Amino acid sequence: MQEPRLHWMRGQAIEEAGAARALEWIGLDDAGEPIARVVRILGPVSAGWRHYRAVALDTEARVVQLRPPPPEGAFWLACVGGRVVGRAALPLQAVRRVEAALGD
Amino acid sequence: MSETPLARIRNIGITAHIDAGKTTTTERILYYTGVSYKIGEVHEGNTTTDYMEQERERGITITSAAVTCEWKGNRINIIDTPGHIDFNIEVNRSLRVLDGAVFIIEGVAGVQPQSETNWRLADRYNVPRVIFINKLDRTGADFFRAFATLKDKLDIVALPLQLPIGIEDKFEGVVDLIEMKAIIWEGGELGAKYHDAPIPADLLEQAKEYRQNLLDTALSVDDAAMEEYFEHGDVGIETLKRCIKAGTITGVFRPVLCGTAFKNKGVQPLLDAVVDYLPSPVDVPGIKIAAEEGEDETAERRRIKADPAAPFAGLAFKIINDKYGTLTFVRVYSGTLRSGDSVLNTTKSHRERIGRMFQMHADKRAEIKEVSAGDIAAFVGLKDTGTGDTLAANEDPVVLERMAFPVPVIDISVEPRNKESIEKMSLGLQKLASEDPSLRLRTDQETGQTILSGMGELHLEIIIDRLKREYNVEANIGAPQVAYRETISRPHTEIYTHKKQSGGSGQYAEVKIVFEPLDRNSGVVFENKVVGGSVPKEYIPAVEKGIRVQAESGVLAGFPTVDFKYTLVDGKYHDVDSSALAFEIAAKACFRDGMKKAAPIILEPVMDVEITTPQDHVGDVVGDINRRRGMIQNQESSGSTVIVRAHVPLKEMFGYISDLRSMTKGRASFTMQFHHYDPVPRNIAEEIMAKSA
Repeated sequence: MQEPRLHWMRGQAIEEAGAARALEWIGLDDAGEPIARVVRILGPVSAGWRHYRAVALDTEARVVQLRPPPPEGAFWLACVGGRVVGRAALPLQAVRRVEAALGD
Repeated sequence: MSETPLARIRNIGITAHIDAGKTTTTERILYYTGVSYKIGEVHEGNTTTDYMEQERERGITITSAAVTCEWKGNRINIIDTPGHIDFNIEVNRSLRVLDGAVFIIEGVAGVQPQSETNWRLADRYNVPRVIFINKLDRTGADFFRAFATLKDKLDIVALPLQLPIGIEDKFEGVVDLIEMKAIIWEGGELGAKYHDAPIPADLLEQAKEYRQNLLDTALSVDDAAMEEYFEHGDVGIETLKRCIKAGTITGVFRPVLCGTAFKNKGVQPLLDAVVDYLPSPVDVPGIKIAAEEGEDETAERRRIKADPAAPFAGLAFKIINDKYGTLTFVRVYSGTLRSGDSVLNTTKSHRERIGRMFQMHADKRAEIKEVSAGDIAAFVGLKDTGTGDTLAANEDPVVLERMAFPVPVIDISVEPRNKESIEKMSLGLQKLASEDPSLRLRTDQETGQTILSGMGELHLEIIIDRLKREYNVEANIGAPQVAYRETISRPHTEIYTHKKQSGGSGQYAEVKIVFEPLDRNSGVVFENKVVGGSVPKEYIPAVEKGIRVQAESGVLAGFPTVDFKYTLVDGKYHDVDSSALAFEIAAKACFRDGMKKAAPIILEPVMDVEITTPQDHVGDVVGDINRRRGMIQNQESSGSTVIVRAHVPLKEMFGYISDLRSMTKGRASFTMQFHHYDPVPRNIAEEIMAKSA
């Protein structure tokens, strides 16, 4: 098993079935600087009369609409800096996308 | 009974399509756990759980059987269920009271129709499951193809915990993806001897890929486990098992194991998986109490948690009548009960006294003095407790969520051959019906015959056989008939006045009833909208009863009328001449007149049919299905065979097996199960009505 190159820590969370679940995992470099994140895609959500198929939280916990919506089965976004480098069904798969992107 | 801590109890079912190997797997479990000293075989008619004469003669499971075994300090209560669709009630009631299930999938065919039906039932009851892909020693077995059908047909996240080593006659063991090792069976001692080995070199890369998938999927349910992974690049075995258990209980994914029970390979790790991943009674959220009348069925309601010190609550899920009396199987959800105690039957609002209590081992019984939360036991001495009734303590008289029973689709008439058999037959049928909620009895009002309604030809054949063997009743049996139903297709309001003067006090009642069609499977619904006392309160139940009784015999061809609502909106009464009887008669007549004006129609059962045929006979099979008024749903190729799925009226399926065999030189097979009721075409309706006249 290949060990992760970044140091990953829990980021923003949401309460689900009475327990806090991570909505975000943050990848830190050796200097402890956050340089990447994997973030859970939420949706569909409605806000007033508006309806969003897919949203995610940005680094400042603002809700961002994803356009076009991610393909079926993609529940996590892999981001390096502000750039989306991949999508995945599971958080660990998204982490590997980030690390692969950093290795390129 | 529970000296075992609750966390070390597993109540599980073993379920699958017919002939997938449920009973064979159960036999191995009993052998490896030391309950049996030899392995019984289905084809030899000597298995523990198939104890009925009919089961042994036919080599199929008919009734679910409970057995108990110990594995690594855990007590496992197992219910082995039938695979044939005609006995689906047994799967239904078992899944209702179990905390977990092992789904056995055939390694050659993959997911088959009955596996799908049972899977949906388990979904309904939120039963956590592990999957065992069996028969990997068979010619044509393919783990990966069978695995693919899990996603295709059940639409689940299936998570392999093992990979096969070898296949067909070369199958020798499994790769354990949790501990990354091989487990090899040695062939001796009926599979009891096996050893660990390094993963074969040719499987190592594939095993690494599947282990990464296992980690990706399992750890996603637990943030602490993710952190452990980020820190060490892997997780400990206990962490991984904890995650798999959490994902299994919540249904995020379904663990998959494999083996061949018949060749004694793969069963011990399956037992480990039952203990490691299926929940104990304290791991599940508890059983919901039933919704109050008018309350939303899906709303969150109070749950009864497994606690031996709490007030008693249990659910009767199975009744057996034998020479010693009536045995009522009860799943205990909370509290503790001792023989001699009294409880409330909260479903029927009466008291029951518990006589003796037994732990069942198939048809054998061991007396126990006490049961408590998490246990499954059989009670003797209950007078009027049926399948689905709740037994509860006085101090907390809860009613637990009810069970749903399948709709019978085939009728036969039975008549005693001689006078001596009249009473015996009536008693026998009543007892058989009390055991089996999918068997319904009614009397045809015109012919006076007793009509048995069941799930299929085999179901009714077994019932008649039991009537003869267990109750010594010789009866004349009519040919199986389709269980048609009648309903209405437009609303109608009918007023009927019943007036009779025959000296002395007369009879007077007038009712105004609105009849309305309802959606399929809605049953018969009554509403009282009388205002101002135009029909006095004490006569309302008589009106309701009159319609319900009359609905048993529809206006077109005498079949039960279903899926309609009747609302009593008005009426008249007389101070002296009105009575409950007069209102019941008026309601019956109102039904007979009103239904005729509400566009009555006849409904017929339509079956979901799956035919497996060699490629070169597909044309014949499809053409034949079309001639039988069938609608082809889809066709799917699997190697040299094709699976044809169709919806076909049951009427057209009698004797189908012999036609199919002659059409395909005996190479095709089929299964069918009830799908829905549909109106019959006009020409067939006329035929049915002419026959009934």
